[in-house]
Amino acid sequence: MAEMGNFGSKGISSSQWVKIRKISQLVFFIIFLVLFFWSRREFYLNPSVESGFKENLINIPLKLDPLVMIAQAIASRKILQGSLLAVFTLILTFFLGRVWCGWFCPMGTILEWLPLRSWKKNQPSVPEWLRGIKYVLLMTILFSALFTNLTLLFLDPLTIGYRTLTTAIWPGMDKIVTFLELQLINVPFLSGAVGGFDSLIRPAILPPHPAFFRYGLLYFGFFISLVVLNVLAPRFWCRYICPLGGLLGLLGKVSLVGCEISSGCSTCGICVPSCPTGAIKDQGQVYCDPGECTMCLVCAENCPGDAVKFPFKVSNFLRQPYDIDRRKVLLSMGATAVGVGLLETNFAGQLQPPAPIRPPGALNDKLLSTCIRCGQCSTVCPTNAIQMAVLDGGMEGFWTPVIVPRIGYCDYSCQACGQVCPVEAIPPLSLEEKRIQIIGKAHINRDRCLPWADNQECIVCEEMCPVPDKAIELELVEVPDGEGGIKTLQRPVVVRKLCIGCGICENKCPVSGEAAIQIWVPSHGNQKGNNQHGWQ
Amino acid sequence: MTDLSRKNFLHFLVASIGSLYLSGCLNQEKLLSRSLSPDKITPTPYLPGSKDTEEDHAAESEELPTQEPSATPNPEYPDLVVARKGDPEEMVNAAVSALGGMDRFVKPGDVVVVKPNICASYHSYEYAATTNPWVVGAVVKLAIEAGAKQVKVMDFPFGGTAEQAYRKSGIQAEVQKAGGKMVVMSNIKFIETAIPDGKDLKSARIYDDVLRADVLINVPIAKHHELARLTLAMKNLMGVIYNRPSMHANLGQRLADLSTRVRSHLVIVDAVRMLMAHGPTGGNLADVKKADTIIASPDIIAADSYGATLFGYEPEQLEYIKKGVQMGLGIKNLDKLHIEEINLG
Repeated sequence: MAEMGNFGSKGISSSQWVKIRKISQLVFFIIFLVLFFWSRREFYLNPSVESGFKENLINIPLKLDPLVMIAQAIASRKILQGSLLAVFTLILTFFLGRVWCGWFCPMGTILEWLPLRSWKKNQPSVPEWLRGIKYVLLMTILFSALFTNLTLLFLDPLTIGYRTLTTAIWPGMDKIVTFLELQLINVPFLSGAVGGFDSLIRPAILPPHPAFFRYGLLYFGFFISLVVLNVLAPRFWCRYICPLGGLLGLLGKVSLVGCEISSGCSTCGICVPSCPTGAIKDQGQVYCDPGECTMCLVCAENCPGDAVKFPFKVSNFLRQPYDIDRRKVLLSMGATAVGVGLLETNFAGQLQPPAPIRPPGALNDKLLSTCIRCGQCSTVCPTNAIQMAVLDGGMEGFWTPVIVPRIGYCDYSCQACGQVCPVEAIPPLSLEEKRIQIIGKAHINRDRCLPWADNQECIVCEEMCPVPDKAIELELVEVPDGEGGIKTLQRPVVVRKLCIGCGICENKCPVSGEAAIQIWVPSHGNQKGNNQHGWQ
Repeated sequence: MTDLSRKNFLHFLVASIGSLYLSGCLNQEKLLSRSLSPDKITPTPYLPGSKDTEEDHAAESEELPTQEPSATPNPEYPDLVVARKGDPEEMVNAAVSALGGMDRFVKPGDVVVVKPNICASYHSYEYAATTNPWVVGAVVKLAIEAGAKQVKVMDFPFGGTAEQAYRKSGIQAEVQKAGGKMVVMSNIKFIETAIPDGKDLKSARIYDDVLRADVLINVPIAKHHELARLTLAMKNLMGVIYNRPSMHANLGQRLADLSTRVRSHLVIVDAVRMLMAHGPTGGNLADVKKADTIIASPDIIAADSYGATLFGYEPEQLEYIKKGVQMGLGIKNLDKLHIEEINLG
């Protein structure tokens, strides 16, 4: 792309370059979506395959994300093999500036597609200093990673993309399609076609069983509010908030190719408002801040005098004053240390808050310092068991995976979460290992259980229990049958040493509302410093 | 709204779809309860229970709608055939041909549904939690040879995904080899269906393909179950309804009720391997007993009754057999049946 500096002379005009860029955005957006849907489909069809290939493919977008990979490496003190892909993004940025933001990032693409220009009544001016937010966020993320905290990675644009797709867009699509299908299947001559259509799209695109994610509306609202911020300024998120943009912007300041307004400039000022990130400023002389430029080339397309160039110059490396204020850096580091400390405090004020049920093999401590909050495990979990924490594991654990058995059980023949996890926060266990992972223990609530409370027949929990020797036993008792006689009744009792806590009993318990059998993490099991594998 | 421009209209449309979307997000399972009205589907034809002279079912059986049975009791053929000590496919072939051949049940052009027991995706067939794949394959092959237009094989596993369960059980491979089709059951096709003859279960969401099939061949595996004592053919039909946990209260009666609506035209009980304990999921080879037996009968009660004796139970010890007899579904008294035993060993 070094030729970009010579628009026209090499046959590709600046408007053609803009077109190429738009195609690139579309292609990468589609790749992102396809990988998302494909990951769910593949793991649904075969949740217990250890191929290595498909999960590597699925995780490429995240591994290209330098913010996620650097923060993860710092927090977990371990460099993952695949994370070297992020170096590629960094090198690209060093050569070409923030092309990630302008050419590839799916979040940036969405925000560019939804400029909400027509909503703007009178242009409010956003203060320039807000641009500092993204650098502060970046530093906060990196410093808190130093203190093994990764909570703020939920602000990474890719994790926002996965989160919104998984918890809101995808289940929402499912609801709408299911609704239409159920309407159309009533039409006699269409019912065959609807059935065929249904087996075509499930599990290929939509979930075969209704997907449910807690707080989906909340995450959807978060995403929508980022879009609505576009009213204040185009690509508001990318300009002011995105910490990944901050990281790439710091590197982009010294990139070898950059926007340069040449001496041919008539200072007409057309480029200044045309720049979607407001990188071009007119302060007597028109210049472009390479830290804000996403290499979208709109300025070059609009310049009447062909004065905007993108030359390749090693001297670009030196052209910008590197204006990171030492005092600010130290200040944000101190603030971060305090913040991480505050996250550890327990705002709910419970002495022993219930420990969250983690996916098989995940250790609470290690999970918190390794999990990049991408939610892939939740996406691929075929039973919908893996939900994302809000305050379940304390504030620190926001958007880390937890198992909610009443929504979905941990399938005895599935190892999808461990396979898909890009950072091994959920370890990739073999099926044999996974089957003996204890993620919690079942407890029967005898005040709600049908045979215990109401002398009614029910053995669903025992029937469902996947453990070969059944972690639920049935004891025989003689009880009044309600008609003056005596009947023999089976009452479930948990065999604690056999229970692995998979939660299928809680999931299938026919009592309405809260189940009569529930999975709890034993009090000593999931606290800091304790090894989950050591339970008895 | 007099100045409704196209743009405004489009905005309005987008906003409406958006609200629909949001309300959809709030309405979880509710949407699924809407479905075909039950009267659009004709009941599966009944099988004869008329020969049964036991118990007090006479009064009730008069209330049953009289319909042309798909396989009338035929004195030429035995009521029940037991084949032993062959390989699974041989035993199925011998048993079905002793019953008069598959032609007696499947007419050319019929759509056949074969319902094996594929309860979970946990284990392969050696663990006897799922029907023997070669038994299912042989049934599919016979149905196709009898001229069936299509043979669909399906179950609705409670543990794991259907796709994985089909593969893990080995049934998918054998069915496809035999020319049948594995069907993954889809949520939208469970149709709320009235069960007019049900005493306790008055309606259930039953799978559309099963209701519409010309012939239903029920191919359970004989295995242990704590509440029902044994899972056999009648219990196997739980796989065609949507809300299974609700069946467990008064299981025996509800299974009998279900069988009045979903009739098995032919029952083939796979007792090649029997799961003697820790059913229905199994997982321990020590609980598996190799019995090399196939039971075939058009009478679901007779087949289940014979199956019960393999475990040392009297048929009336199984609640659903007792209730089924009361409902006039078949004969449990094995002495009154014409049973043909074939030993291939």
